[in-house]
Amino acid sequence: MTVQMTSAEAPAARASGAPLASGFSDPRRTSVPVLLVFLLPALLVYAGLTAYPAFRTIYDSFFTIEGLERIPVGLSNYAALLQDETFWVAVRNTFIWSFVAPCLDVATGLLLALALYAGVPFARFLRIAWFTPVLLSYVVVAILWMWIYNYDWGVVNVALRAVGLDGWTRSWLGDPNFALASVIVTHAWKWAGFNMVVCLAAIHSLPSEVLEAAELDNCGWGAKLRHIIVPMLKPTLLNLYVLAFIGKMKVFDLVWIMTGGGPLWATETVSTYVYKRAFNWNTFDLGYPSAIATVWFGVVCAAVILLNKAFKSKDRLEY
Amino acid sequence: MTVRASLNAALFVVAMGGTAQAQSQITMWSNWPDEPAKKDWVSARVKEFEEVNKQCSVKLSFIPKADIYTQAKSAVRTGQAPDIFYMEPDQPEFLAGGFLEPLDGYIDLKGLEDWAKPAWTSKGKVYGVPVEAYTVELYYNKELVKKVGVEVPASAQLTQAQFADLVKKGVAAGITPVSQGVGDRPFPGGFLLYESLLRRLGAEDYGKLMAGELSYKDPRIVEVMSWVKELVDAGAYPKSFATLKLGESHYYFYQKPGALTFPDPSWFTGRAFAPPESGGMPTDFPLGIMQFPAMDKGTCPSCKTLAVAGSYVLYSRSKNKDCAGALLKSMATVENGTKWMEQVSLQTGLKSDPNKINSPREAYFKELNARNTGVKYFFGTPLFHYRAKCAETYTQVMNNAFPAGLISVSDAAEKMDAACLKK
Repeated sequence: MTVQMTSAEAPAARASGAPLASGFSDPRRTSVPVLLVFLLPALLVYAGLTAYPAFRTIYDSFFTIEGLERIPVGLSNYAALLQDETFWVAVRNTFIWSFVAPCLDVATGLLLALALYAGVPFARFLRIAWFTPVLLSYVVVAILWMWIYNYDWGVVNVALRAVGLDGWTRSWLGDPNFALASVIVTHAWKWAGFNMVVCLAAIHSLPSEVLEAAELDNCGWGAKLRHIIVPMLKPTLLNLYVLAFIGKMKVFDLVWIMTGGGPLWATETVSTYVYKRAFNWNTFDLGYPSAIATVWFGVVCAAVILLNKAFKSKDRLEY
Repeated sequence: MTVRASLNAALFVVAMGGTAQAQSQITMWSNWPDEPAKKDWVSARVKEFEEVNKQCSVKLSFIPKADIYTQAKSAVRTGQAPDIFYMEPDQPEFLAGGFLEPLDGYIDLKGLEDWAKPAWTSKGKVYGVPVEAYTVELYYNKELVKKVGVEVPASAQLTQAQFADLVKKGVAAGITPVSQGVGDRPFPGGFLLYESLLRRLGAEDYGKLMAGELSYKDPRIVEVMSWVKELVDAGAYPKSFATLKLGESHYYFYQKPGALTFPDPSWFTGRAFAPPESGGMPTDFPLGIMQFPAMDKGTCPSCKTLAVAGSYVLYSRSKNKDCAGALLKSMATVENGTKWMEQVSLQTGLKSDPNKINSPREAYFKELNARNTGVKYFFGTPLFHYRAKCAETYTQVMNNAFPAGLISVSDAAEKMDAACLKK
């Protein structure tokens, strides 16, 4: 256990002439070897598996790498990127994913949490059932939803036919107008349970006196939700939004399995495009895909900073 | 245990260690984990090799093709690729990167078909053992085609108008005319269009199209594309075309719901000749093979695509080239080519002896041979010729969007020209 000096004690100590504890001379600090024992493993893992690959990717983006040969090309990979139509389509799709889908995720999670909070029948079963998709791998989720969307016997089209809406049936993943939305819905289904659990925990931690006071004031369920619960949940909801946003800026697995970026690049994301350029492009060149990855790394960082500023509140965002 | 027994045990371990050191182990990655006939053929060749060459052992793994490519791309750079791995000629970057060893000094090139060698030849040297070869065929259900009122002539080739009639009659009868799906493959959607283009343009101009030297706006190409678009709009393909997987399109053709035709390379047999209970073709299925339709004003009605697919290559940084080369040499023989034809019921780039082929699928082979008699081959499917952005555009546009009816002829031609036409 460490004893911390309060802000009031520190000036008092200085005034009494006590030497300023600094650096490793501070008797409260442990010795350097012990520090290293604790820090080194984590630092090595971080340096080897995060920092080095990241810097290497940035470094590679200034080269064309053919076979074992590295040819410096300066900024030409970045210049080519500006002219690359598919990249911009991928950027557009990824932004749609990242800005729109989190709303769906968070709203669904909040609704489910409110349903449980309101005490729907079979709440215990539903809580498990709604959370289960979070535990499934993307591969399983993708295959499951490819069946659900199947034109001939998928449950969506079968249901539409059953209620006489044959005209609405379509190849959900094969139609460029619906493919992206279909994959976004699948993603929201997978993560709704996670958002639900977080929202439910946040609702349960709301100060009961505020809610009780509202009830004493004859505040209805709707008004309580609108004026008390949702405003008080705002920090949690924003945290969830930013978390979802970051995840969606990197979305790959689901798209790759369900559509491979098609049809007509309608579901292409930056991550799937990087993969295609790195491994499906009849070339060993990792320079250009590294340039895409570098640009996107910058975009994600910038977007997160902007979102933090936009959602600025007294409560610090944690993710 | 006594001291003497312990010493004996230690000596035995040392002796075994010495033997193990003398034996070289090579690694081999093969495709076809889900195709029993091909897997059995490869396993048998490796087993035979190990029996004769006691100094070599083979660690053989069957891995899906896409995974082999992805893993090999990383492994070849770091010197960790297997000694022998599966490769198709449409992955030229391995050869260009210097990762493949020329095989001229290892195998007897006389064991390879002359038409197959060019697929793996670069600067006068051969870099792959072309085990699997195929032609692009148009399979059909004889009974269903007859049922809708179309008679396939003795030449087994319908005209452009007759094929369009077949499609319309199929749609009217509620039978899907062409079973095809692109859910998990980048190429099947182009079969009908590109085989039609080959017959219309002839091998020379079609070669120019593949080389990016002929525009998709060429009037002959626009005519053929417009004809295919009519078929698409008439309902030629399944509604689930975009998501139907290759395996499912097989099932769609010969099980449920059934279709009139199925354009597929002759490696059709890998799935179709599996036992029916495993999703294979029913034994009494009325299978026929017709030629792709002859185009009006077609330059080459008898043209057909031939290609080399599954091959084995030797890693240039292999530390066991002698054993690996010896294994490839033992595979590339006429006897093994004959066994491939017998067991897999598919063409091979290895030489074979037709007189010795003893297959229960004799009738199938006869019909396949008949469809390949007197034809003029064009080497390579579009993805063999197209690279990078052009290949990706082919996959998205000609393989998927165009046959799915999502894009017009002019838009498709525009996109293909933008990606493939050399300026």
